Order: sequence, then structure tokens, then C-alpha cells
Amino acid sequence: MLLEQTLAATINAATPLLLAALGEVISQRSGVINIGIEGMMLMGALCGMSASFYTSGIPLVAPWIGILSAGIAGLVTAMLFALLAIRLRGDQVIIGTAITLLALGFTQVVYQRLFGKTGSPKSVPYFQELELPILSQIPLIGQALFSHNIIVYLSFILVPCVYFFLFHTQPGLRIRACGEHPKAISTFGSNVVKLRSMCLLFAGFMAGIGGGYLSLADVPLFTPGMTAGRGFTALAIVIFGKWHPIKAFGAALLFGLGFALDARFQASGWGVQYQWFQMLPYLLCLIVLTANSGKIGVGKTQAPLSLGKTYDPSV
Amino acid sequence: MNYSSMLEGNSHIKNWPHLKNWVVLPLLILFCAFLTNTIVIFFCGYNPFRAYLAALDVIFGSPRGIGETLVKSTPFLMTGLSVAIAFRCGIWNIGAEGQFLVGALAATWFGTKLAAYLPHTAWIGIPIGIGFSIVAGGMCGVIAAVLKITRGVNEVISTIMLNYIAINLVSAMVDGGPLQETSETGPQSNPLYAWVKLPRFFEAHRIHPGIILAVILAVVLTYVLFRTTFGYRLRAVGEGPEAAQAAGISITRNTLYVFFLSGALAGLGGAIELMALAPHLTKNFSPGYGYTAIAVALLARLNPLATVASALLFGALTQGAFGMEAEVGISGKITWMMQAIILMFVVAATSLNYFQTKRHSE
Repeated sequence: MLLEQTLAATINAATPLLLAALGEVISQRSGVINIGIEGMMLMGALCGMSASFYTSGIPLVAPWIGILSAGIAGLVTAMLFALLAIRLRGDQVIIGTAITLLALGFTQVVYQRLFGKTGSPKSVPYFQELELPILSQIPLIGQALFSHNIIVYLSFILVPCVYFFLFHTQPGLRIRACGEHPKAISTFGSNVVKLRSMCLLFAGFMAGIGGGYLSLADVPLFTPGMTAGRGFTALAIVIFGKWHPIKAFGAALLFGLGFALDARFQASGWGVQYQWFQMLPYLLCLIVLTANSGKIGVGKTQAPLSLGKTYDPSV
Repeated sequence: MNYSSMLEGNSHIKNWPHLKNWVVLPLLILFCAFLTNTIVIFFCGYNPFRAYLAALDVIFGSPRGIGETLVKSTPFLMTGLSVAIAFRCGIWNIGAEGQFLVGALAATWFGTKLAAYLPHTAWIGIPIGIGFSIVAGGMCGVIAAVLKITRGVNEVISTIMLNYIAINLVSAMVDGGPLQETSETGPQSNPLYAWVKLPRFFEAHRIHPGIILAVILAVVLTYVLFRTTFGYRLRAVGEGPEAAQAAGISITRNTLYVFFLSGALAGLGGAIELMALAPHLTKNFSPGYGYTAIAVALLARLNPLATVASALLFGALTQGAFGMEAEVGISGKITWMMQAIILMFVVAATSLNYFQTKRHSE
């Protein structure tokens, strides 16, 4: 019972992290470090919830409209990022921070305007749990693994898709090359600016959907600042997962377990303070970074060579 | 593209480089940012002019408002200095938030526990409390420095992670941990002992000596950074590590110095805020000062002295937001949005300026 619940909670907590991390893998592989995931997730969370609320007249479609709007909100935010970081060649770290700050303020202002007087609406259509036939009857793990909402299943299917795209298709190869040696790929006739922008927009879309998951699954609710560092956790997941979609999937589950345990500990009151568990993912990330960098350690560094470096086509 | 080289942008325009870089450009940035902000407020369905009038009234309408602006500017100034020094020396310290919190945490530990065993006088309590925060904040920066130097860990990532570690550490300490208040009414620490609290100048205002200390620090840092060999070495390592190394300047040592200095400034900022204003250390002690600090420092073109002006502006924005919330009903968090918009225009202006310079020089 305990195991089942923890497993289910882990998957539930891991899904938004996984969604954002998959986008971020693509973006970082192309050489853009997107520190604004947190902001893009927040935008997605607010837009997802409000879009679903305003279309609640058609309850079956409303969550889908919501999650799509969430993705688009993330994408639009990423467009701003792309304009500043790739077109105008500003610094990615500064712009990422600005995006997060912007989203924190913007969502709060808009939320207060829309729902400030009434509080978060109660009747938002959301993604219900979907028990897969047969599979959910498997004893012990059936309920934990196969009784989630549809976004969970979709995001799990997306993992091998992103892996295949990145490592076994030509655009995937170009993206990886773009993160290593943009100059080289440019010589071969690819447009680095365009390629990186596309990757960034994808990352924004995925982060937006990840945010939408937070406000549309389980409890359809938006609270200002509800992402609570999940965007930065997704960043940690990408590093922890060595910029690889399948390893990132593993990392997302591990960090999801951290979130799930933390909720469990808060509820159970077992002597250990929950904050130590909340700290764990970040500590883990630091340790992994330390172990992976430098000449000796667990495996060699796999960060894309020109990650975070501005590309100037004219040089 | 090296950020510090962009800063020196258009010095070839001989006639009015200083006026342009330090007055016209910042004013243009602010104008554009306010225009954008006005549009956003308008489309959110509020009356921007009523909002701004309310903000101006809260800031300049009374001596108390001006005092509050000064008080609210102080944490921006301290964290802004921290970021300005680091960025100026080529260190991407995003960790001012965590260092600020750790500084406040150390001051709380001293101010609610250790200070009881020392003579009960402000002449001993305040300097030691400040010392604790400086060391704690500095060491928080040094962790990132050691990871960078020994293992090549990118400081952007490590300082972000350290921020979250610090946030949870503070939460662990004051919410159920050893520093929680004895009566356990909420997730907060005991109030500091009276002899660790900074005095106030006036009965009715919150103006405190920490403000003056911060401004003095800004002046001293400007002098050290631009007029001493020590400061020259720090900047040299940031702007041209290879050249600096060839000239016999130790990169390792200077990187350590910068991280310590940057962390110490943020930590001291946390202690000042705590010892002068806050009744307790709470879980949400910093509303993102460390992130806003990046906007503060960049608007000041990473110059410590100009950071004073830019911190005043951000303090005024924060104070003004109270007026907007009370009078017009806009969420007070609109300051974050305004800060972000300013930051984006700074980035855009710097880039455009760089393009322009390049065209001139080609």
C-alpha cells in the first residue's frame, strides 16, 4: 500500500519535470542554456488553468485546450527569449533570469486581475485518471503504474521519441552538432540561428505543458509561484541525465521520488524534517556535477561544447 | 561575446561617451521599460496613470515614504554590489539569493543563541553578528569557487543549486529546526537579542545605519576596483584570463577572492536586513533580492557607485508598488515584472550598442 502510493506519487511528481527536461535536453543540445524554464512553466500553469476554465462549457475538450494553451504560453515566452538571446545575442544566463522574474510578476498580476476577487475557480475541467484495461489489474504495481491521467502516458511515450529524433535522425544530428561546433554546422549550410530558435521554442512549449500539467492534473488549481523551483529542478535533471533523454527520464523519476517522499514525510511526521528531502535533489545535482567534471570521475563530461555561448554568424 | 568588453562599448565616440553611456542610455532604457509596463498594465484592464500617481504619492508624498524608499533600497544595493563585483570580474554568481539567506541565517544563529554568552552590549554584539554573516556568505561563495577551480563546475549551475540548498536550509532551521522560536507559534526564529539589533535614527522612521554602511561600501569598492592593484588584478582575471595569467596574476587566487567578496557582500546584506528591520528570520525572508540584484547591477553597468542610483530606483519601484496595490488593486508583485522588463531592455540596449560599435570599427 505504502509502496504503491509512493510509486504513484513519484510518477505524478516526475511527469512535469520530465516534460520540461525533455524540451531542455533538446535546447541545451543545440547550445542554448534555458534558465527561464521556471518562468515558462509558470506561464503555462496560469494559461492552462484559465483556458480550461473559460472553455469549461465543453468539459471533454476543455483540458486539451488548456494544455495546448499552456504549451503556447511557454512557446511565446520562449520567443521572447529567442529574440533577446539568439537574435540580439544577449547573454543567456541574464535573459533566463529575466524571463523567470517576468513570469513571476506577470502571472501574479494577471491572476489577481482574473481571479483575485473570487479566488482560484473550483470548477475547472481537468485530466481525470485513466485506468488502462488489463494492465491496471496487475497486482502490486498495476494501480501505481497504469492509473494515471493521459498526459503521464503521453510524456512517457515521448521519451523514446525524443531519443530517436536526437540520435537517429538527420535534424537530430544537426542539433547536436550545433551545440558542439556551431561554426562547423554553419559551414555545412545549416542556419544556426534558426536551428537554435526552433530548439528553444520546443523547450518553451514543453516547459509550458509541464506547467500546464501542474495546474490541470490531479488538482486543477493555480497558485502564484506554484512551480516552486521545479523549473530549476528540470535544469538539474538535464545535467544529472547527462543531456540524454533516457537518462534524463531516470533522473526525473529519481527527483520525482524526492518530491514524493517529501510530501509523504510531511504527512507522516517521522522525526526527519521534510526540508532535508527537498534539499536532496539540488545537493545530488551538485555532487553529480562535481563527480562528472574534470579529468577523473564517473564518466567524462558530456556538456555540449558551446553550451551557453552566444553564436555570432559574422565572426 | 564577452560581457565586460561590451560594456566599454562605444568609447570611440569621443564627444560625449560618458553622457551617452551613463545618462542618455539608462534613461532611454527606463523610458522604454516604463512604456512597455504601461501597455501591460493597460491591457490588464487597470488605469496606468492612476497607478503611477498612486505610486508617486507613496514614494514622494511624505518624508516617511522617502525614508521607506531608502530602507527598501538597501538590500538591493548590497546584493547589487555583490553581483556587480562578480560579473565585473567575469564570475557569473547567480547565488546572491542563497548567500543573502545564509548571511542572515548566521546572524540569526549568533543573535539568538551565541550572543547570550557575550557581554550584553551593542559594541560587541553588532560587529560579531556582522562578522558571522560576512564569513557565512563568503564561504557560500567559496564553495562555488572551489567547485569551479578544482572540478571545472560551471558557477551558474552550482550557485543556482546552492540557492535552493540555502532556501531549504533556512526553512529547516526555523521551521521545526534548532533555530525555531521557543514558543513555536510559527515557522520563524526567536527575535534577536536587543544588543545585536541595529539602532534606528528616528522614532517614527525605519531608517537605520545599515543604509549608510552600504553606501560607504559602494564608494570603497569603486575605489578598490578601479584605483588599486588588487582591484586591477581582479578585473584583469575577469576580462582576459590568458593575458592575466601571462602577466603573472594568479587566476585561482583571484577567483577565490571574487567569490568570497561577492558572497560576503550578499551575506552582509542579509544581516543588515535582519538586524535592522526584521523581527524574526522567517522562511520567506528574501523575496528574490538575489535575482533582482542582477537587474540592479546590470542597469548600473556593473559599476559599484552607479549601483547606488540603480538600487534607489528599484527601492522606489518596490515602495511604489505598495501604492499601486492599495489604490488601484494591481498585485504588488508587479515590481518583479517591471524589474524584468528593465533587465530585458538593458540586455537589448547593450547588444544593439555592441552591434553599432562593431559597425563603426569595421
